[in-house]
Amino acid sequence: MKRHPISSSAVFWAVILVLAAWPLGTAHPQLVCRVFTMAFLYAVVAMAWNLTALSGLISLGHAAYFGLGAYGAALMDHYGSGHLAATLTAGALSAGLYGALCAAVFRNLRGATFALVTLAAVEIPKVIADNWESVTYGSLGLVGIRPLPLVRLGSVAIDFGTSLTAQYYALLLLLFAGTWIHGKAIHSRWGWALRAVREDEQAAGVLGVPVHLLRWTVMTLSALLTGLCGGLYAHLHGFVEPPVVFSAHLSAIPLVLSILGGRFRWFGPALGALVLYPLDQLVLHPVLPAGHAAVYGLVIVGSVLFFPKGLGSWKK
Amino acid sequence: MPFARLFLRFVFTWILLAGLAHAGHAAAPVRLGAINPLTGKLANHGQEIQSGIEQAVDEINQAGGLAGRPVQLLSRDDQSQPETAVNQAQDLIYREKVTALTGGYVDSLVGPISQLALKAQIPYVASASLQKDLTLGGKNPFFFRISHLDGVTEPLCRFLPKVMPGKKAAILHAATPGATEFSQVLFQCLRRAGVELPLVEKFRPGTPDFAPFLLKMRSLHAEVLISAGFFPDHLILVRQIREQNIPLAAYVGPWGIAYPEFIQQMGPAAENLLGMSAWHPDFPYPGTEEASRRFSEAFRAKYGRDPTSTVMHGYTAAKVLLEAMRTVVERGAPLDGPHIADALRAADVTLPLGRVQFDAKGDPLHYRQVVVQIQNGRLVPIYPADRAQGTWIPMTGPTN
Amino acid sequence: MWAQFLIGVLSLGFFYTLTALGFSLIFGVTHAFNLAHGELIVLSGYLAYGLMKAYGWTFWMTLPLCMLLLTGVLVAMHQVLKKVGEPFELNSLVMTFGMALIAQNVMLFFFSADYRLIPSSEAAVFSPFGRASVTETHLWTFGLSSAATAAVFLMLHHTFLGKALRATIQEREAARLAGIHVDRMKGVAFAIGGMLIGLAGPLFGRLAYLHPAGGLEATLIAIVITIFAGVGHIRSLLLGACILAALESGAALVLGTNWRELVSALILIVLLLWKPHGLLVGKRSAPEL
Repeated sequence: MKRHPISSSAVFWAVILVLAAWPLGTAHPQLVCRVFTMAFLYAVVAMAWNLTALSGLISLGHAAYFGLGAYGAALMDHYGSGHLAATLTAGALSAGLYGALCAAVFRNLRGATFALVTLAAVEIPKVIADNWESVTYGSLGLVGIRPLPLVRLGSVAIDFGTSLTAQYYALLLLLFAGTWIHGKAIHSRWGWALRAVREDEQAAGVLGVPVHLLRWTVMTLSALLTGLCGGLYAHLHGFVEPPVVFSAHLSAIPLVLSILGGRFRWFGPALGALVLYPLDQLVLHPVLPAGHAAVYGLVIVGSVLFFPKGLGSWKK
Repeated sequence: MPFARLFLRFVFTWILLAGLAHAGHAAAPVRLGAINPLTGKLANHGQEIQSGIEQAVDEINQAGGLAGRPVQLLSRDDQSQPETAVNQAQDLIYREKVTALTGGYVDSLVGPISQLALKAQIPYVASASLQKDLTLGGKNPFFFRISHLDGVTEPLCRFLPKVMPGKKAAILHAATPGATEFSQVLFQCLRRAGVELPLVEKFRPGTPDFAPFLLKMRSLHAEVLISAGFFPDHLILVRQIREQNIPLAAYVGPWGIAYPEFIQQMGPAAENLLGMSAWHPDFPYPGTEEASRRFSEAFRAKYGRDPTSTVMHGYTAAKVLLEAMRTVVERGAPLDGPHIADALRAADVTLPLGRVQFDAKGDPLHYRQVVVQIQNGRLVPIYPADRAQGTWIPMTGPTN
Repeated sequence: MWAQFLIGVLSLGFFYTLTALGFSLIFGVTHAFNLAHGELIVLSGYLAYGLMKAYGWTFWMTLPLCMLLLTGVLVAMHQVLKKVGEPFELNSLVMTFGMALIAQNVMLFFFSADYRLIPSSEAAVFSPFGRASVTETHLWTFGLSSAATAAVFLMLHHTFLGKALRATIQEREAARLAGIHVDRMKGVAFAIGGMLIGLAGPLFGRLAYLHPAGGLEATLIAIVITIFAGVGHIRSLLLGACILAALESGAALVLGTNWRELVSALILIVLLLWKPHGLLVGKRSAPEL
């Protein structure tokens, strides 16, 4: 051992600390809070997607879980209890159930076939949400979903509905939780089992890893987490509409963020989201109102060329 | 490295001087924000609205600005995604500190921006928005729009039963909130007027093939097709109708038909289609011929193409907003959200698009579109009677 | 009515086939999941449109030039994709996603956001079975698509190059051991894929429309048909495309246009569960993703 290079995870922790601290210290523009709130949400979606990917399956259909989460929360808010716990549970559960069903039905599919089947599986909830007009209001979408509630902690009242700073910290907490789960999927006994399944299913089975059960659990967990994010999205934006919450964009984004950030690092997907989303929204849009997407594409192409293992691996 | 230091010092001084010079300028510009879909599927309409807004800003700056203060336009792209629209609106409001917002093409993008405008107390005049719920029943005093759904459905509801009595109609609409609400309202009022509607269907924008729907229409003997899709959907649908020789008396497209670009792309296949238009260089709102002509000339000189109804929507939204801001400045009141919103509520101007006056909810009081038909490659208004320049011609039936 | 329905289905199916052909070949040989496929088709369509508008060329005259230019574009794209590190499949997916974004915006800059159509006459060329009509566009679709499919099929099955390509599709390592220059085969696949994309573009502009953001639909069609039919299986590509077109159109006819996507998704899922490797394919591993 010569010198300790600064490990990339230490840098990541520093970034997280700065992110947690700066809204307290500076006269912050609300805008940056808002953009980072959304970046945290996408980071969690990206990590949820990566859970499935870590088991060796590439999903092109996470928009299904996101949309189901959003619709579950919105419908619960509209017809049942508007309590946040109830709506988010409804969102996460509906997505989780669909995820569990998909995981069970598609258990024998691998590779490109699995990717295509998940792509097609988005259509089922989407078309139903679009056409079951008496319940979901069809293409009109559901509007007027209640914002996040006001929470009283003793004498302090935190209004998550209007204060962007409060939303920022709430989502930061979610990011911590998501990162913890994602970290466990890499650096734990369970994570090693997942890696074994990914690298060689038969060998893993011989070693006593319950391959099917493990895959099923991880896919369901991934769907639950994505659904939770969908539910939060519905509350943050106040409306849901099939083309918005089931958009193909939502299936592609976690994949791009994860691969850019580094799929095999516990902080990789989060890093991708925290770099790419704010860069696009805060820098590229204002500078180039019409050409930002081309630069965004160039950034993606460049980082794949120069960081083939993801941004998280610039120091080994 | 003294040279590098010298260079840095020079740059620093220059920036400082430039900043001072900037601050010392006689009148700080008034900042106006515009958010439109400049890229993606809706980019053509977004860019049209954008150019209309630019035209309005140019006009006011050439006339000396708002009591001597120039107007600076800051434009952003919303990529047709609500979330980007919100982020960019936030950027304009909090970082760029704009005084007011305008633009916007689809309801799902206009809605979230209007909520933000309410929160930040910044007036927002939307250029194209239809849905009825969007005004929140008047609970948002900072949101105004120059178009609404009734202005499209009402003329159509009177026109169809009157001009084509006894004909069966079919409605095909895109799976978007605006088009869905349009088809629901139209269905109700046509049904009340006694029109038989055997077929109402919805499709996802981007569907490449309408052949099965057309076959069904033929077997149900529906002779009028109301197609609430967008520009590209008409391109495919009309071509397939012509190919299959569907016996149609009328094809009505509320959006996307009444554009010179559509006629140019479709060629003879566009002949005798019906569309809706709020304005056109050839048939401005009565009494605004001179203003229309001046606008069209300036627009052609700058952009090298003919202005469309969508351009006019962008222009009108920005124009109304800027006029309201001018009255606030001239009155000597502070140029802030509440004062501009009051001025907008009191506004009553006649522009090429029509008379613009807002009701308590921020909806336009006088917005009415005209039914137009493509005749010999030109757009001819045919309804209502006071603006008509021609009469309805049935579509050519099957020739073989 | 049924004759017209059949013509519509066949035309849609042949159109799907031509859209998917280039994607299928490139994916099979190189395992590059080309998300910029649709954008390239639209680019080729714009080229044809520009030639017809500016120089008054007729439709068929634009085809060779489009094929040539797109071959060049795809070969260049291959040079960039070659530099992508492992794992190639996933990195190429993200890379082409970025390229698609760039291509969209470059086209937006050069060709504006206006919708364009490649002109065609709607008059029926002949009318079998009474009222049904077959137009010139239908004939172009059938002709181009079947010619391209037949050419690729013959090339794959009756030439030495085709044999090498098929070997690379089926078992890359074995092909390498047998002395096949796999990297060169990849270049060949990109070149042929470019020709096929160049051929599909003008037809796309004639059947659908050209718009910088209009490539996504074509990409999705290509992905679905390719995996549905089984990678590298040219005959079943045509069959799969026609089956899918028939089911989609049938669903739209019986249930309504709004259920079209659901039915095709369900059929796709069921068929893939039943035959995970493609329609006419026995047991063989699908390419890793």
